[in-house]
Amino acid sequence: MNCQRIARMLSARQDGELNPALERQVESHLCACAACRDEWNGLQRVIERLRLPLPASDPFFPTRVMAALPERSTGGLRFLRAVAYALVFVLIVAGGFFLQMDSGSRSLPGPAAATFSAVLLEPQDLGLLSVHDDTLSLFAENSHE
Amino acid sequence: MEDPHLTDDEVVSSVLNGRKRDFEILVRRYSGRIIHFVARMTADNDEARSITQDVFLKIFQNLPYYRRENNFSAFIFKIARNMTLNWLNRQKRTVFMSRLLGRDLGRDPFRLDPPRLSPQEQDERQDQVTRLLRLLPEEQRLALVLKVYLEFSYLQIREVTGWSVPKIETLISRAKGRLKKNILLQESGGEQVVQARKK
Repeated sequence: MNCQRIARMLSARQDGELNPALERQVESHLCACAACRDEWNGLQRVIERLRLPLPASDPFFPTRVMAALPERSTGGLRFLRAVAYALVFVLIVAGGFFLQMDSGSRSLPGPAAATFSAVLLEPQDLGLLSVHDDTLSLFAENSHE
Repeated sequence: MEDPHLTDDEVVSSVLNGRKRDFEILVRRYSGRIIHFVARMTADNDEARSITQDVFLKIFQNLPYYRRENNFSAFIFKIARNMTLNWLNRQKRTVFMSRLLGRDLGRDPFRLDPPRLSPQEQDERQDQVTRLLRLLPEEQRLALVLKVYLEFSYLQIREVTGWSVPKIETLISRAKGRLKKNILLQESGGEQVVQARKK
């Protein structure tokens, strides 16, 4: 193996990433080649120079982190919020569809309009499922009339 | 609080089941290494603690998305890596804007400070390392810091960065070559001229 190839492998060797067969080849080359040995020693000096101890531990750090945490992990809430927004969207689209079908023959009665605005104003309210049912029953009544 | 018998996955399950205070086990287990990683990347020890605190908040918020088949260590260092790179990008923008406006709004993390004398040898050593690492391009620095300070294997680095193993090998090898030149220049008292480029 020539010096150029060895030089390319020295860094990986230092990182403990060479397979045993290559490791043996590099090792025997280093025993025989002073130039590559210099290169290797240079790399060792670099890593030696970079070595630093872990920063002094701050005993209050975990307490600070724990104090800053939100009440609970928000992943689940985010999912529920997405479902709620999806429901609101479906309601709006369905409402618009029914309104369009019904327009021309009669106007929307007062309570249905109020219910619909409540839905629009409170999209994150998970209680909107019951509002949804009310709204649909009102629309159903309207369409039967 | 630290229970050596609980694996990371067990702690995560416990936190997700409502035992929020068990999260402290993870904080105690990983905070030292994350601070070390962020400090070497940002060259700023104080900022490293603040970023690490944000990293743990992010980890807590993202716990429901952690998949057990993945390595938890890779999961958290991926978050640490992203937040550190975001911080570095914000710093770059601040420096760019301050130059644009002709003002000095803050310190430039990529400018070589004049050597600062420190009474403590350790501080001096840390300053030297900080200056050396600052001269490396971001990708080389990231790969080298993960290797040298966290002792990650190339495969673990691949999990955190998404880079291929040959790319990681090349980045680390180039980083060492660049550092070697700069150390020689530093030792001979000359200026460090092997500056960081984009990549």
